[in-house]
Amino acid sequence: MSNHQILNPADHADLRVHTGAGSELGDGIMATLAVPSEFRRLACEYPILFRHDPASGGFTALALLGFEDGENLFLQDGDWRASLKPLSLAIRPFLVGRAREGDGPGQVHIDIDHPRVSSTGEGTLVFDEAGRPTPFLEEIAAMLGALDEGHRASGAFFAALDRYDLIEPFAMDVAMPDGGRHRLVGYHHIHEEKLAALEPGALAELHAGGHLAPAHAALTSLGNLAKLARRKAECARG
Amino acid sequence: MVGTVTEAAIERVVIVGGGTAGWLAAATLAARLPRLSIALVEAPDIPTVGVGEGTWPTMRETLRAIGIGEGEFLAECGASFKQGSRFDGWTTGAAGDSYFHPFTPPPLSSSSGGVPRALLAAWREDRAGASFAETMSAQAAACARDLAPRQRAMPEYSGALNYAYHLDAGAFARLLARHATGRLGVRHVAGEVVAVEAAENGDVAAVRLRGGEKLTGELFLDCSGHAALLIGGHCAVRWVDRSDASPNDRALAVQVPVLPGSAIASQTVATAHEAGWLWDIGLPSRRGIGCVYSSGFLGDERADAILRDYVRARVPGADVEALAPRLLRFGAGHRDSFWRGNVIAIGQAAGFIEPLEASAIVMVELSLRALVENFPASRAVMDVHARRFDALFRYRWDRIVDFLKLHYALSRRDEPYWRAQRDPAGFSPTLADQLALWRDQPPSAWDLPQVDEVFSAASQAYVYYGMGLPVPGRLSATPDATARLAEVRARERALVASLPTNRAYLDAATAQAA
Repeated sequence: MSNHQILNPADHADLRVHTGAGSELGDGIMATLAVPSEFRRLACEYPILFRHDPASGGFTALALLGFEDGENLFLQDGDWRASLKPLSLAIRPFLVGRAREGDGPGQVHIDIDHPRVSSTGEGTLVFDEAGRPTPFLEEIAAMLGALDEGHRASGAFFAALDRYDLIEPFAMDVAMPDGGRHRLVGYHHIHEEKLAALEPGALAELHAGGHLAPAHAALTSLGNLAKLARRKAECARG
Repeated sequence: MVGTVTEAAIERVVIVGGGTAGWLAAATLAARLPRLSIALVEAPDIPTVGVGEGTWPTMRETLRAIGIGEGEFLAECGASFKQGSRFDGWTTGAAGDSYFHPFTPPPLSSSSGGVPRALLAAWREDRAGASFAETMSAQAAACARDLAPRQRAMPEYSGALNYAYHLDAGAFARLLARHATGRLGVRHVAGEVVAVEAAENGDVAAVRLRGGEKLTGELFLDCSGHAALLIGGHCAVRWVDRSDASPNDRALAVQVPVLPGSAIASQTVATAHEAGWLWDIGLPSRRGIGCVYSSGFLGDERADAILRDYVRARVPGADVEALAPRLLRFGAGHRDSFWRGNVIAIGQAAGFIEPLEASAIVMVELSLRALVENFPASRAVMDVHARRFDALFRYRWDRIVDFLKLHYALSRRDEPYWRAQRDPAGFSPTLADQLALWRDQPPSAWDLPQVDEVFSAASQAYVYYGMGLPVPGRLSATPDATARLAEVRARERALVASLPTNRAYLDAATAQAA
């Protein structure tokens, strides 16, 4: 369950947030939302896959953390074993909220029932004694801004890929080090050959829109599937 | 017998006396030099003095080397974190007179702790209203809020700020004893030493216990405390009285239970009074409070009243009438030699001085470090080691006496006791020289040139500038120094937000262990 509140120093003066990593903190998930503006950063650690949303008809991107429901192979003994986290995870338990009318500036909301909200006096304060944001909240606010902006730009990215018919259903058998195979289904990805075969004008247009670099980053990130499989084998070995 | 006595390897170590010194010695030697066979003889029913309840940051490495986990240590010893000392009322005694000596050195300090002049200038130019300690370290802000120096998720014995411990000394000795005997193979002999058997060369050959048992060894550690059975008794090494510089000779000590959930201070608080000072050490379940004084200036009854007034004012919910303070008498001083023949004195048998800067336990650690890293291979080289050990620890005692005296020498309090304390007749020539030079140049490695100085130049600076002495003239800040002070501010903001209070940390640790 979630219980969203607008973050403010009056109600949340003593609020502390657990910043560590762990399934008890809600990190036990196999995938999380990714936005094109962070693909290049994410591509050094996470496989990025697309998913079609039948309701909206659009696509969203996901950073893959595991192969099964609830499996997060980046978690180990309270450590997040990667150099960075996808924004959508790093901002938890905060979210971008908006006034009901829609398009105003984003507000920082918090899911007060999220397991990261501390009740023990441990964790990091959000406001200082004067009610000013702590460096932690400043960092969160910057990430929320980046995530919000990335999310808004996401539509244009997928629309551009769609315009050149570059998105295709994606399935892949990932070789597991134990000799088995894991079949990834239900995802979409970029058709690499079609992208490579685009005529210069189309490439220039994608580049000018800022879509070419994230497209290549998403393709590059697929190399992380094998690394993720290796993590799974290591976890299995203990 | 193979070879001569002088060539025989040192294999059997006999430690006379338990307590913090004896058990720390046993555990350290057993862990660091496992080839040794170690026996510790301890008279049953001798209570530990229970004054040395503050450690130095060195204790983290000591415990790690011994093989005790930090969580186990904190729980077993009812311990809390110590991040420095706060001195209330030392400079003038006026309301609000307080300065802080944190464990974290100023930025840009050299390994010996020298504070760069540009940093002093940046303090004066950029942060004129702030104290030296709160300018130089984020620790002052953390301690003002009773924060722990670390989060529980951090690897043990590491912190965001430099720290040591406050602990229950009796429980600490029991933990060390259990660890040393149970896990490190130290033999514990309960018994009272009644006689010493001498070898032909005057060394100790064995100690004889009541009941007739005899413990023989090649090396004997005298950890018998004030009794100094071997170094004072058998070796008859002279006691060097230092009461000329350190006149405090009594303390009234109490332990006051605290309310559940109450704040636990991050530092030892030393509060000056008319003829001495009070210590205040916060643990999760109690506060150890003591009134230190000079019997030449203050009667026991008046000291008792000062102690009770303090408890009444500072410990919420304390039953002041029920307190039964224990009177401790002591003299400041040390042995003329700490290593004589095959006997080494460690702990109170070696020396004692008022606990103003918690030097007791760290001197035990330093003695053991010197011994372990220079362990004599045979009797033949022992005298060489002894001469070096003596020179080193005579130097260290001199520096401790000087550093404690510095706290009094800079005071401007007006009572007869305080005027007597800052009479230059009680200053060593070294201290007098430093006080003359520090008007023109900040404390630096030039003042304290030894490896492992007990009190670094940074410590001297925290006291000197904490007590309001002026920085040398004609200094100018550099962009680098200004930038470093800005970094301290940024770090302070981040740490104040992310560190839990001592209470939250220790209660959570207890809950997890249960």
